[in-house]
Amino acid sequence: MSDEEHHFESKADAGASKTYPQQAGTIRKNGYIVIKNRPRKVVEVSTSKTGKHGHAKCHFVAIDIFTSKKLEDIVPSSHNCDVPHVNRTDYQLIDISEDGFVSLLTENGNTKDDLKLPTDDNLLTQIKEGFAEGKDLVVSVMSSMGEEQINALKDIGPKN
Amino acid sequence: MQGFTPNTDFSELHSTMRAIELASNSIQMQISPAASEAIILSLGQSSQPYKTCQFILENSLVATARFQAAAAIREAAIREWGFLNADDKRSLISFCLCYAMQHASSPDSYVQAKVSSVAAQLMKRGWLEVVAAEKETLFYQVNQAILGIHGVDVQFAGIKFLESLVSEFSPSTSSAMGLPREFHEQCRRSLERDYMKTFYQWTQEAASSVTNRIIESDSVVPEVKVCTAALDLMLQILNWDFRSNTSDTKINVFSAGVGQDGDSFRRPECHLVQPGSDWRDVLILSGHVGWLLSLYAALRPKFTYEGYWLDCPIAVSARKLIVQFCSLTGTVFLSDDGKMHERHLLQLLSGILEWVDPPDAVSKAIENGKSDSEMIDGCRAILAIANVTTPCVFDNLLKSMRAIGTLTFLSMWMSEVIKVLITRNTEDGTWSWEARDILLDTWTALLMPINTITVNDLLPSEGIKAAANLFGFIVECELRMASASAFNDEGDSDYLRASISAMDERLSSYALIARASIDVTIPLLTHVFSERVTRLNQGRGIIDLTETMEELYSLMLIIGHVIADEGEGEMPLVPNAIQTQFVVNSVEADKHPVILLSSTIIKFAEQCLNPEMRDSVFSPRLMESIIWFLARWSSTYLMSSDGIGEKILDSGHHYEHSSKKVLLSFFGEHNQGRVILDIIVRISLITLTSYPGEKDLQGLTCYMLLHSLVQQRHICVQLVALNSWHELANAFSTEKTLFLLDISHQRSLAQTLVRSASGVRNSEESSQYVRNLMGHIATYIVEMSSKSNLKNVAQQPDILLSVSCMLERLRGAASASEPRTQKAIYELGFSVMNPILVLLEVYKHESAVVYLLLKFVVDWVDGQITYLEAQETAAVVNFCMRLLQLYSSHNIGKISLSLSSSLLSEAQTDKYKDLRALLQLLSSLCSKDMIDFSSDSIEAQGTNISQVVYFGLHIVTPLISMDLLKYPKLCHDYFSLLSHLLEVYPETFAQLNSEAFNHILGTLDFGLHHQDVDVVSKCLRALQALASYHYKETGNGNIGLGAHAMGLKDSSGEVQEGLLSRFLRSLLQLLFFEDYSSDLISVAADALLPLILCEKGLYQVNDSS
Repeated sequence: MSDEEHHFESKADAGASKTYPQQAGTIRKNGYIVIKNRPRKVVEVSTSKTGKHGHAKCHFVAIDIFTSKKLEDIVPSSHNCDVPHVNRTDYQLIDISEDGFVSLLTENGNTKDDLKLPTDDNLLTQIKEGFAEGKDLVVSVMSSMGEEQINALKDIGPKN
Repeated sequence: MQGFTPNTDFSELHSTMRAIELASNSIQMQISPAASEAIILSLGQSSQPYKTCQFILENSLVATARFQAAAAIREAAIREWGFLNADDKRSLISFCLCYAMQHASSPDSYVQAKVSSVAAQLMKRGWLEVVAAEKETLFYQVNQAILGIHGVDVQFAGIKFLESLVSEFSPSTSSAMGLPREFHEQCRRSLERDYMKTFYQWTQEAASSVTNRIIESDSVVPEVKVCTAALDLMLQILNWDFRSNTSDTKINVFSAGVGQDGDSFRRPECHLVQPGSDWRDVLILSGHVGWLLSLYAALRPKFTYEGYWLDCPIAVSARKLIVQFCSLTGTVFLSDDGKMHERHLLQLLSGILEWVDPPDAVSKAIENGKSDSEMIDGCRAILAIANVTTPCVFDNLLKSMRAIGTLTFLSMWMSEVIKVLITRNTEDGTWSWEARDILLDTWTALLMPINTITVNDLLPSEGIKAAANLFGFIVECELRMASASAFNDEGDSDYLRASISAMDERLSSYALIARASIDVTIPLLTHVFSERVTRLNQGRGIIDLTETMEELYSLMLIIGHVIADEGEGEMPLVPNAIQTQFVVNSVEADKHPVILLSSTIIKFAEQCLNPEMRDSVFSPRLMESIIWFLARWSSTYLMSSDGIGEKILDSGHHYEHSSKKVLLSFFGEHNQGRVILDIIVRISLITLTSYPGEKDLQGLTCYMLLHSLVQQRHICVQLVALNSWHELANAFSTEKTLFLLDISHQRSLAQTLVRSASGVRNSEESSQYVRNLMGHIATYIVEMSSKSNLKNVAQQPDILLSVSCMLERLRGAASASEPRTQKAIYELGFSVMNPILVLLEVYKHESAVVYLLLKFVVDWVDGQITYLEAQETAAVVNFCMRLLQLYSSHNIGKISLSLSSSLLSEAQTDKYKDLRALLQLLSSLCSKDMIDFSSDSIEAQGTNISQVVYFGLHIVTPLISMDLLKYPKLCHDYFSLLSHLLEVYPETFAQLNSEAFNHILGTLDFGLHHQDVDVVSKCLRALQALASYHYKETGNGNIGLGAHAMGLKDSSGEVQEGLLSRFLRSLLQLLFFEDYSSDLISVAADALLPLILCEKGLYQVNDSS
């Protein structure tokens, strides 16, 4: 594992400003990490040594937060890793369009119409049924490194 | 035979036989096994199938059918035993016995074995009702058989019958008969008292009668089978758990014979054979052991012949019996100062020596392909001997035969084994590993008593020398193994803790050997250690030092074990050998070998403070061993609070522990203690700051070393006076690198630092100390929460990390709350109460942060609640309720989804942990009513804890789903809290609104039908409390549970049953018709009584219907 790969500066692409360098040793289970330029959630960390008297290295198993692909990486613990900025915002659901897009109400009163319905069957039916029943639904949208996805739903009571 | 179906004629018997044969065959060929099984089972279940079974046994040509018939006899007879008349019983037993004897030479011996064991079981079943004369008749036949009158096969069958009889009567191997334990116990006692010795004698005679034939013949003769069976039976009888000599005859086995001293110190798993004085003639005086040894000696030359080999059954059985004889002890020997016992052991040892002596030649032979069984059995025998002798007796055994003592021989023997172990460098599981472990156990058995009781001259001087030689060799080999494995990269499992716990037992045994010759071994260790250190210093920058580093690592572990014991939570004392074996005068304290050794190591460790040395020599792994050593060493020696330790020790022994005094005063507060403490703190600071990312090392530093230092107040007093400690505290507050530690390490560090405040002079200053330490952290949280753009920046990874660190530090400080620092920590928490709520809102999607927030509040409340004054309590309670409501509003009705199932289950786990924390918070609040140190009553501020907690529970309960209750810990916490509330505050419960009330009832109902006994009994206790409360209150003319206890009309107009009658019904239902654990009976009864008293009418109606 060469050092360059873990230098945050070397990532000159658009995602660079959306990631932060952080020492590998401080990244814990349930934290986030960038592996192969994708934001991922760490589900397993273990440490080992490079040779008996060498330095510690971290072994990460992480899952892509959007696609759920699993990936592993090994990084010396004292080196830096990229950590993605993962943001989650709640919006009230206003409408579901025919072509599978949702219309969301932002905090400043505008609408946000560029998000598709989630592909997950369970969440999809919950949203569709809840909306059809006229419930007041709040969806939470996870965004990171220029990507967005609806990942949670909350029912805040019947529509008045 | 009357009672058997009278009209069974031949054809019927024949057809049943055919059916059973068919079924047995088809089971074997796996054709419709269920149906066939049913046919076979029906035979055993039918009434009095004996005649049929006997018919099958005598006539069937299918062996498995005969086997099934025997099993059916057993099943039916055990079941119907009470109805059978005496003649039937007798004839059944004698049928089985005769059958086994008559068919002794037939093939399919498993059928005969089965029949014989059925005979044994039936005999046991009737054992207590049959008169002695009848047993005599049966046993006469057996004896005739065993004597060999009817030939070798019958002789073998007779021995086998006794074997199954003995195993039936031994409690651990007996078959179930559906009778009380008392029955089995009486049978056991009767057999032991009246027959066991006779059986042994018969077997002995049988074995001797065939011995000549075996010895004279060069090939395997049928008698070998008989002899093997006889040896096995003898072994089995000697394995019997003899009790008559201890309880009935009132002879104290511990007072007889020299070999008994210190038995109570021995490890419990060692098996001793103590048949009592009655057995002396059979086992000792008859020359039995001599016969056995000469039998085996005669077998040994035959191992090259056809049919014999080292591991052939007769050889294995003979060796096992010989090893068993080594464990023989107690009143079977005369109390003649152990002379008889010694002669016995000597005789055995001379036989055993043949197997293992000379060790080098034997081990060479094994490496060249010889079987290792004699070697391993030899090790087992020596272990058995060590278990029944004192070191002196043990050592003297060999002296009568050889120029050397047994200890010297043992030392040579073990050296040889270790040599093979390291030269072959083999995997676990080879003979040298096993032999090494057994021999180490032997040393432990010999030396453990010396280690725990203070007796100087228990070990003969030659033995001390032998131990010294052996230890020297062990160190040499361990070092060689260390340097050989220095470049092995065995991956992640090979970090310090795992390797220590795996090696721990071995290292403890090494330590015992070292302590047996402490005045030689300590200087040896000092020498070896210094030599390695010199090598490091000379080779630094010139050659690769990995091997030397690994050697030092391994030495550090060995030395740590030799000079200090594991405290296991208590304060470890200076090991006995070190206390007593050195004669030192206090003027020359620095020449004390242990002081020399300790100083050498600490001086070496101190070199890691030099950056150049650190980079080239002090690898993370080496540092781990240093930290481990310092932690272990300091808890024994560093500023050991002499007072306590000395008093405990001196009360028992009036020795002048000059060695110990010198040691403790040298490392005491007024001597070198402070200097060393300073070094330790500096080294800790280095591991925390200069080893980035080395979590294991830093974990050891935080949890083992620093944590244990602040446990004692007098050390805290010294700590807070040290500059280095203040440097550590400063670094903690300001240094960036310490924010890179694992966050749980930061928590531990915060806890340690706050705890050291107990060493500050007065409570004013300790509060100031805490404020200085933690103040800026609270400030950070406050400022962060009031940032206008918080929502935007909060989720940035860098902010997320620092918020997490701060919260963990706060939590660490909160958990270190003591009366002295309580005020300061309360203020600390008070100042962040609102910010906590702000952060909870902002981070509601960041489950890791939510958990940290909750855990901080839990620990803070837990540490504070009992001290709080009324006004403070009100503030805290109010805060907790807001926290609960906020958490609930974020989570209720929320559905999180993810494509990844593992992320989903993580989310579930996070929720579980959150809820558990919330329940802990409520439990802490509850404790305010139990323990309260405040000056005024909290009621003054109108705080009613019970209402608060019910309200809290009301908020939390809807979040707890059935899925979450599958987490056992959450389930337990939840039901403990619930039953506690109902037991202590039934009156508040009665006042709840009907929604909350019904929810709790539903939960109780759920709990009553839970699988976990603990949960059910908690619910039962809650029910009992409710019903008793209602009964007492109504008895006094109050309403008790009031409307809830009556029936209620719900909104749709239907009458709902009152809660007490509802639970009376469901409890009775549970008790009468459902499966439940017998552990519940008493709690259930306790709950049932008040329920019945409250609902007499309903109970009687049910009763009559």
